[in-house]
Amino acid sequence: MFFYSIQERKNRDAQMRATINQKLVVSGERDKLKELLRTRLIECGWRDQLKQHCKEIVKQKGLEHVTVDDLVAEITPKGRALVPDQVKKELLQKIRKFLSEQQQS
Amino acid sequence: MNTKCCPHLSVFKATKGLEPFRIIHTYFISCTSREARKRKAKSCVCHTCRQARPRLHSCLSCVYFGCYGLKHIQEHAKSKMHNLAIDLTYGTILCFACGDYVYDTEIEHIAEAQQKIAEQWMGVTNSFSAWEPTDKEVELLQQNPKRRRLTANSTIGLRGLINLGNTCFMNCIVQALTHTPFLRDYFLSDQHNCQMRKDSEQCLVCEMSRLFQEFYSGMRTPHTPYRLLHLVWTHARHLAGYEQQDAHEFLIATLDVLHQHCKGSNGLSNSNPHHCNCIIDQIFTGGLQSDVTCQQCNNVSTTIDPFWDISLDLGPTEAETDFPNGIDKFEEPTSLTNCLKRFTRPEYLGSSAKIKCSICQSYQESTKQLTMKKLPLVACFHLKRFEHSTGYHKKISTYVSFPEELDMTPFMSSSRNHNNGYSEQVIREAASCLSSDYKYSLYAVVNHRGTADSGHYTSFVRQHKDYWFRCEDHLVIRAKLEEVLRSEGSVATGIKLAVHKVKQMCSNNNNMIFL
Ligand SMILES: [Zn+2]
Ligand SMILES: [Zn+2]
Ligand SMILES: [Zn+2]
Ligand SMILES: [Zn+2]
Ligand SMILES: [Zn+2]
Ligand SMILES: [Zn+2]
Repeated sequence: MFFYSIQERKNRDAQMRATINQKLVVSGERDKLKELLRTRLIECGWRDQLKQHCKEIVKQKGLEHVTVDDLVAEITPKGRALVPDQVKKELLQKIRKFLSEQQQS
Repeated sequence: MNTKCCPHLSVFKATKGLEPFRIIHTYFISCTSREARKRKAKSCVCHTCRQARPRLHSCLSCVYFGCYGLKHIQEHAKSKMHNLAIDLTYGTILCFACGDYVYDTEIEHIAEAQQKIAEQWMGVTNSFSAWEPTDKEVELLQQNPKRRRLTANSTIGLRGLINLGNTCFMNCIVQALTHTPFLRDYFLSDQHNCQMRKDSEQCLVCEMSRLFQEFYSGMRTPHTPYRLLHLVWTHARHLAGYEQQDAHEFLIATLDVLHQHCKGSNGLSNSNPHHCNCIIDQIFTGGLQSDVTCQQCNNVSTTIDPFWDISLDLGPTEAETDFPNGIDKFEEPTSLTNCLKRFTRPEYLGSSAKIKCSICQSYQESTKQLTMKKLPLVACFHLKRFEHSTGYHKKISTYVSFPEELDMTPFMSSSRNHNNGYSEQVIREAASCLSSDYKYSLYAVVNHRGTADSGHYTSFVRQHKDYWFRCEDHLVIRAKLEEVLRSEGSVATGIKLAVHKVKQMCSNNNNMIFL
């Protein structure tokens, strides 16, 4: 029987994520992807939907009582769920392409 | 947005100025050099947990970086009494004393300017920015408290048009234009600044503005567009009384008059017709690249011309057989993609149409290929169903299928094969359809029923995201997407105005926008 340390696996994943993130930042690719994501989310109506949802929360709680933390807590799961699969796929593909180009050079 | 600064930020600004903000913004938010990005990549981690977690903030007083999720920035603020922090993703300022993000005009100006520079660096043009009402607009909104919210099943924006006697050719185009998202955004936000002040009654752009008001007023009775027709006819005299009254010609004439009447809104348009940035050109103008290759020396000469629409040939092609390399003869196209393939294939110009080659210094046989250099925001395709020659008018009624989403990647100049000699169709198929940079989505179709001499125009328009309506003069009837895509299926057909959205939305964040 073989077992590997789950914690170690997690650490390695985190390290990998940090490395990829650094590469993306240094090359400027991260900003480009961010801009692309923003455009796609606007195009598909995601932005309008979330904005509407925020307005409803603000109305419900009253402008005086609502905090940014409340909004973030309520909006985050919904925002994640509403991102269309196609947008996720496109971004993933772009990141893959970027990484394979990085490896080649 | 509340741009009144919080007292804590005011005090900070008064004592330390704007420099701390500017420095943090340039170094860690909108980086414009590889050096800066390197620094950012290395140092953007929480100083407490050493991780690059989301919602990282920087203390404005001591440039401590702390994450928000694990409350490291909060703890720092509390223990050091440093109340102000910048969100390192968006550049907004969080005041812990107020317990909220705070906004300040001067700071926003700096952030905006920095963002602009960073965008230029990235090569991003026309990035979306949310609508911020000006003081004047805020005042107007306060004076007019009535709001109209559009729900998904709202029929606002749909209106029939009275037929003024064979004017269905105009009605179908008006329906397509009024459902063009970018035009709607432009007109409903009242952006036309009339250039014909003394004579604004004669301005077609002003008339379009009124037309949009009519369409989106909520009125349900059919509208009578006689002023529009009158103005187009006055300014495009070649159309008046033209017996064929062709929807496509009407569209082009209308766009042309609109573009003429916009002129003067910028200095460029008068001096250089190809660089007009009027709303019509911003939306409809694309660039068509033409590459002529000398068969003798393979020298390629390239020109780029602006276009508002693409006219596509139907029917089988002749004259293909004498191509030296024996290109496939084109069958009658039965899909929009086929038509576009045919449009962008290299064409042998023949021995009777020699072109002077600048390298050979003599007239040579050549091939010519058209590709899309620049795509417009709205792509308008016209199927040439009518053949008019002296004495006879003929209509080609072949069914041509078209998709709801069109990928233009294979027809781009960048997809052109740069090998010399066009031995085969050089258009590369889109390798991957995932990227939607060149994707278009259908929003209007114009159909013609009948013969070349007499017939009737109708149109389909898309409302909101996926509701389709069939417009036939004063009638507006809900339709299904299948019906739209099947249109032209029978013998009945006409011009197709396949048009599109996508690239970027120039619109604001108001409730009017449903794409
Ligand atoms: Zn932390
Ligand atoms: Zn501090
Ligand atoms: Zn404060
Ligand atoms: Zn005007
Ligand atoms: Zn123009
Ligand atoms: Zn030559």
